Amino acid sequence: MTLRLLSSRRRLVRRVLSYTSSLASLHSHATSFGFQQVKEEEKSKLVGNVFTNVASSYDIMNDVMSGGLHRLWKERLVGKLSPFVGMKHLDVAGGTGDVAFRIYDAVNSVQRRALRKVDEASIEETQIYVFDINPNMLNVGKQRAAERGLRDNKSLVWVEGDAEALSFDDSSMDGYTIAFGIRNVTHIEKALAEAYRVLKRGGRFLCLELSHVDIPVFKELYDLYSFQVIPNLGELIAGDRDSYQYLVESVRRFPPQERFATMIGDAGFEKVEYENLVGGVVAIHSAIKL
Amino acid sequence: MYRTAAKRLLGTGLTTTRLLRLPKPRPTLIIPYSSHTSESPISNQSLNPNQSNPTAASPPSTAREEEGHRRDESMRKPRAEFQEEQARVLAASLRHVARLGWTEEAMIAGSRDVGVSPSIVGSFSRKEAALVEYFMDECLQLLIDRVDSGLDLQNLIPSERVSKLVRIRLEMQIPYMSKWPQALSIQAHPVNVPTSFKQRAMLVDEIWHSVGDGASDLDWYVKRTVLGGVYSTTEIYMLTDDSPEYRDTWAFLDDRVKDAFDMKKSIQEAKYFAQDIGAGVGKSFQGLMNGVMQTMSRRGGSSAF
Repeated sequence: MTLRLLSSRRRLVRRVLSYTSSLASLHSHATSFGFQQVKEEEKSKLVGNVFTNVASSYDIMNDVMSGGLHRLWKERLVGKLSPFVGMKHLDVAGGTGDVAFRIYDAVNSVQRRALRKVDEASIEETQIYVFDINPNMLNVGKQRAAERGLRDNKSLVWVEGDAEALSFDDSSMDGYTIAFGIRNVTHIEKALAEAYRVLKRGGRFLCLELSHVDIPVFKELYDLYSFQVIPNLGELIAGDRDSYQYLVESVRRFPPQERFATMIGDAGFEKVEYENLVGGVVAIHSAIKL
Repeated sequence: MYRTAAKRLLGTGLTTTRLLRLPKPRPTLIIPYSSHTSESPISNQSLNPNQSNPTAASPPSTAREEEGHRRDESMRKPRAEFQEEQARVLAASLRHVARLGWTEEAMIAGSRDVGVSPSIVGSFSRKEAALVEYFMDECLQLLIDRVDSGLDLQNLIPSERVSKLVRIRLEMQIPYMSKWPQALSIQAHPVNVPTSFKQRAMLVDEIWHSVGDGASDLDWYVKRTVLGGVYSTTEIYMLTDDSPEYRDTWAFLDDRVKDAFDMKKSIQEAKYFAQDIGAGVGKSFQGLMNGVMQTMSRRGGSSAF
């Protein structure tokens, strides 16, 4: 049964591939979808399929794959951001709201609320925009918000759209985070340029992404784990091997830490830094717009 | 000599690199940053060939090696820009310290004042410590400016000079006195100790330097340790002093400085005493050895025959 499921998925991908390639213009460039080369126009569609498939089991898969570590990584990301009351924050590719809820909690923690009285009048409402290209992921997030009793909360705004063409004004955001998302964007440069555009002066860009391990023995173990274990886990839990095969392949395709840092600098950001977690399994890149 | 050592210790400190190379007095606390840097970053560099040092020391994490030379140049400048921006935000934050304490909130309020997104605070290393350290740097700079702009020290005896300088420096903390215990606790945090220790060392060093002490013998350490102690105890005394205009604190300071100078005298005396004893022992030892040698040579001479 699983085999059938698998082959049907393969067929689906192939069908999408053939369908779009027949329509694709001659001028389109090749880009990577995992280890496959696909036309640029196809990548977003394929990525869309991946996340439509896994949306419902996305968070549980994250827990299983990372052994719960992804929670710590996200805490670390929010810790680095140091959110504040009155912040306008954009969380791109954050459909399930994982990062957004953490930011919301940080802003509304007891300590912060105690200090809020200081400048009550001058401070605007905190706003966290949860932005995702995939409506299924956003629906999962909205559902989770409802479970947390935040269904009609004004601080959380759910927006569907493309990271390469953000629907926000220039200099309108204090913070921009993208957790496990930039890898799936077709043109990373465009996404970075958009991030730079929407941020205010002094606004911060933070990116949490699976990255490259360089420690000799650990690297071999990590590769073994990603190529042998993760696709199987994906099949077992999410019922979708291909999507997780794509995941591990796309991680290998993603530019290494140094190069990605250069790309961020090229987009105009300053004070570009990164921190490796678990030896580079994930890296947090941070930068500031001045 | 000690300045180069201090420079090496402090590395790419915010103001310290600046103050070491710009002995020219500057009149006010906040304005120099913007006016100085925006007017003539180039002339500034030509003045000080060392100036590129702090900017060149970019964080190791950013990708620079792969970059060409031209790019390297263009990326070096923004790095300095960030520090300027940070200094501007911190300077504005100081106005909020009396009300909000040495906190992130004060820095958030400060960044709002200068029209920068408060998000920038998240990028300061060690958050609150950045603010305290900035204040320490600025006060040191201000002290140096005061000394350079012809503070009347010549008519005073050394102990008076020391206590006057310590007093000038401590007076700068008066506006923040209600929140100063918080600053001390931030400085005492293990993560911040290396920097706060260096800053205090720099301060004490500067005071001795201004007093006109250029010695670099063993006394160097003693002097600095003792003055460091005097400064810190006075600083702590000041926290609970509610006498008008901190009169008690200044009396306490004068006494401690006097004690220290007395101690210096006693140390000197002890040293002379030790020298005398050493000389005496040396003499008797020499006499003993001479005696031994003489007998040895006599015996040696007899056995040879």
